[in-house]
Amino acid sequence: MSKIKVSKIKVIKIWRASSLSFQLSSLVVFAVFLCGLVNPLISYDPVLDVDLSRRDLAPSLSFVMGTDGQGRSVGLRLLKGVEAFFFPGLIAGFFAALIGGGLGAICGYLGGWVGRSIAAILELIDTLPRMVFLVLICTIYPPSILLIAMISCLLFIPSIATVVRRKVESLGAEDYILAHVAHGFHPLKIISYHILWLQCRALLTRQLIFVFSYVLFIETALSYLGDYGVQEPYPSWGNMVAQSRISVAAWPWAIPAVAIIVTIAALLAFGDGIARRDEEVKR
Amino acid sequence: MSDHTTSVVDVRDLVIEFDTPRGRSRVVDEVSFSVSPGEVLGILGESGSGKTMSTQALLGLIDGYPGVMGGQIDLTFQGERHSLLSELPHFLFEKRGQLEKQERGWRKHRFKAMASLWGRGATAIFQNPRRSLDPLMTVGQQVLESITAREAHKPDDTKLNKEAQSIEALEWLERVKMVNPKRVFGSYPHELSGGMCQRAMIAVALACKPSVLIADEPTTGLDATVRAQVVHLLQDLIRDERCAMLYITHDIREMLYLADRVIVMRHGKVLERVSTEDLKDRSSERHPYTRTLLEAAGMIGGDNE
Amino acid sequence: MNQEAASQKSVTSSSLHDHRPAERSPLMTWIGWVVSKLARGLSLLIGSSFIIYTVLRSAPGDMVDLILGLNGTPEMKADLRAEFGLDLSLVEGYLGWASRALTGDLGISITFMPGEPVLELAGPAFLVTLGIAIVSLFMSIAVAYGLAIFLGPPRPRQTLLLGPIQLLNAAPSFVVAICLAKLINELIQFQLAGGGQIPPSWYPIPTYQRLSDSIAPFVFAALSISLGDGLFTDLFNALRSELNNLSNSLFINAVRAKGASVRPHLVKNLIVPTLSIFTARLPLVLSAVVIVEYIFTLDGSGYLLLQAAKNRDVPVVVGVSLFFILAVIVMNLILDLVKALVDPREVAKGE
Ligand SMILES: Nc1ncnc2c1ncn2[C@@H]1O[C@H](COP(=O)(O)OP(=O)(O)OP(=O)(O)O)[C@@H](O)[C@H]1O
Ligand SMILES: [Mg+2]
Repeated sequence: MSKIKVSKIKVIKIWRASSLSFQLSSLVVFAVFLCGLVNPLISYDPVLDVDLSRRDLAPSLSFVMGTDGQGRSVGLRLLKGVEAFFFPGLIAGFFAALIGGGLGAICGYLGGWVGRSIAAILELIDTLPRMVFLVLICTIYPPSILLIAMISCLLFIPSIATVVRRKVESLGAEDYILAHVAHGFHPLKIISYHILWLQCRALLTRQLIFVFSYVLFIETALSYLGDYGVQEPYPSWGNMVAQSRISVAAWPWAIPAVAIIVTIAALLAFGDGIARRDEEVKR
Repeated sequence: MSDHTTSVVDVRDLVIEFDTPRGRSRVVDEVSFSVSPGEVLGILGESGSGKTMSTQALLGLIDGYPGVMGGQIDLTFQGERHSLLSELPHFLFEKRGQLEKQERGWRKHRFKAMASLWGRGATAIFQNPRRSLDPLMTVGQQVLESITAREAHKPDDTKLNKEAQSIEALEWLERVKMVNPKRVFGSYPHELSGGMCQRAMIAVALACKPSVLIADEPTTGLDATVRAQVVHLLQDLIRDERCAMLYITHDIREMLYLADRVIVMRHGKVLERVSTEDLKDRSSERHPYTRTLLEAAGMIGGDNE
Repeated sequence: MNQEAASQKSVTSSSLHDHRPAERSPLMTWIGWVVSKLARGLSLLIGSSFIIYTVLRSAPGDMVDLILGLNGTPEMKADLRAEFGLDLSLVEGYLGWASRALTGDLGISITFMPGEPVLELAGPAFLVTLGIAIVSLFMSIAVAYGLAIFLGPPRPRQTLLLGPIQLLNAAPSFVVAICLAKLINELIQFQLAGGGQIPPSWYPIPTYQRLSDSIAPFVFAALSISLGDGLFTDLFNALRSELNNLSNSLFINAVRAKGASVRPHLVKNLIVPTLSIFTARLPLVLSAVVIVEYIFTLDGSGYLLLQAAKNRDVPVVVGVSLFFILAVIVMNLILDLVKALVDPREVAKGE
């Protein structure tokens, strides 16, 4: 009981101490997270939602965000559209952080040619414009959101590995890591616990969030194009924005457009905030 | 003290403060000094005592908030007296019981006021020579820039032409005893050693032919022979151009040789003002801190000498 | 200027003793630097084209069937097999394909524009893309510099003003493009409703099926790329802090103290960081061009790429991808060269 109380107070303290942008962004991130989690519980039939008699209605009490050109509720579709990027984004972010972090830590710990070859691969991947590579992949493989998420994950692994490697290299010189080595801890434990968990978790969280926001970006972009991402009639923020091509009213496409910008902005600010807090705590 | 009417530099009650995480700290506390043409004022003091700050205030180049917060600085250039801090009170205001400064406005005002004085009026040999040279420009060009800036103010018929200017730039590099002036002329600062950068910086400053020269540890990092040459060079400059000089160094022997008067600073305050003659005189009364400095340098109290 | 310095050095260095460690002659340093940069570019080209080829070969099922579908004739299939070296091993196939690509033989389009050589489709289209990318980079730079100089050092009250700029960091360029296009279309609609004249030539929006007969769509495409994807925000933030650090730096103060003009020093010292941002940003900008071209129906290679991909025209998609990679590598080389011309330390530090 008392334990819960203490942690509650701690949370409030952290909240008070953080900046306004961090507070706002964490609210937005929390809301998106909630949407993502409740999404599987909501049943939505995009075909049944069509009702041509209520086309392009302005926002009102019954349709909080209005309706689109086919009379579908924009609010409901916005909510349901979270599904398109939520789990793929989380999975991509998680695996990118896991694999990238692991690789980076190993390279930093061992040093030498492994590190150099990762740097070389990184440069290679940075040479390919990501969008072009994704389109290429989608031409050759049957496109799906999961595939896109997997490729995004792959594209980010080297950059995460580099960031972690730099960090580990700077840590490796510090005495206490050497002390752990001298104590005879298993290298795997030093890498996974002392380096990755204790030192890099904020950094990795930030990278995870970054990959998540990239998946959101690329999913909406490809769905906007219409051939690779989520296809009509299923909702995605991207293909909702594509309503701009046919819609007379502004809200069916402007609301998801704003949602995209606000969500990405919040994600980036949230990730930065976490990294900054971590630095402050360490100091 | 020399009287105010003949001095080129006259600093009274200069106050410099900085905001630090531990609150505001006063790094220069009501410092006063003055220098006449052809005179060398030595400034002695431990590291961090505010020597650099109190001299840089003359050039209006202190960065860091709030910087100069009070006092008077008068600089005489070509018979005209410039009061550099006369407008300062207009930029100060009180906030929560603390004096603050309108930094942007002050900076603009200060730069405008200094524009005609920089270079010919007053210039400096900066303490950190490597960081005081533009990394993307050859040393020769940087010396040349001083000369061009100096010549720009002259009437057209007495101006040096481009060629004469480059020749002069090369001469300056020779005068600061560069081993290979021609090569140095076309070199970039990163290609030079620390001592060479220092000499390049000296050349840049001397080429301005200023009426006030601030020499902030100009010989630190030079070897003994070059050191002596640089000191003589500065001496020549003072004699030929009747330039006033503020000379900062940690080397007391050099100070005694070059300076006419010396002020001793500690914790931002002037502890003592003495003429060099007095300082050389071992029997006279000294402030305890000055004594320690002299002792540390082996000037007094030792068995030899 | 470097050459000048170099020749001066080489003339005098032999005549006088030198107490510093022996150094290579400047010309040799330069040649070594250029060669190493070229080698790096070449290895990047080989590496990334190999990735593309590997992706091609890894296609599920028989790629030829995948591309041609059911209506491919046997000889078309055989041609395609030969083109991509499908019957050979991975490395052999790559070598054959790459050497043919080097001579400009990128195959022929199958479904999108049947029979057209890919090179003739992708080449001209790529010029459009490159133009948009470069214009948008410069646009971004110009506005970012202007604003950074105008605003000066950061002050507390500016946060309100800078909020929207930071928000742009999160705006994907395709969203910016749509908003921009919609806005301008509304404006024109409004004008038309008022005056009832014919639409002006800068009508940017493809929604109304007007093909571009003016440069307006190009300008709008470049504008939305320069604002979107955080390009502008990144540049602005970086330039601003760089500008502030510089104008307070010791050597700029030293320039002031000698009474010379500070501006040339500032400009010169800002070029290198700016170019570094260019280098880092180029792939992202090219990615953005793909989708923005599609929005404004500009017939650049982004549009070509998407249309070909829609028709599963693998040779065209691969050819255009190669162009993109080549562009990144060549542009990086050029940027590195300019950087080295401005900053002699780049060459001195070598690879
Ligand atoms: N921008 C700044 N912000 C805060 N404090 C500063 C700043 N610049 C200088 N100081 C402080 O001002 C004091 C005086 O510095 P100054 O450079 O004048 O010392 P100095 O006497 O020249 O020392 P040295 O002999 O090492 O050159 C120092 O304690 C320094 O910490
Ligand atoms: Mg100093």
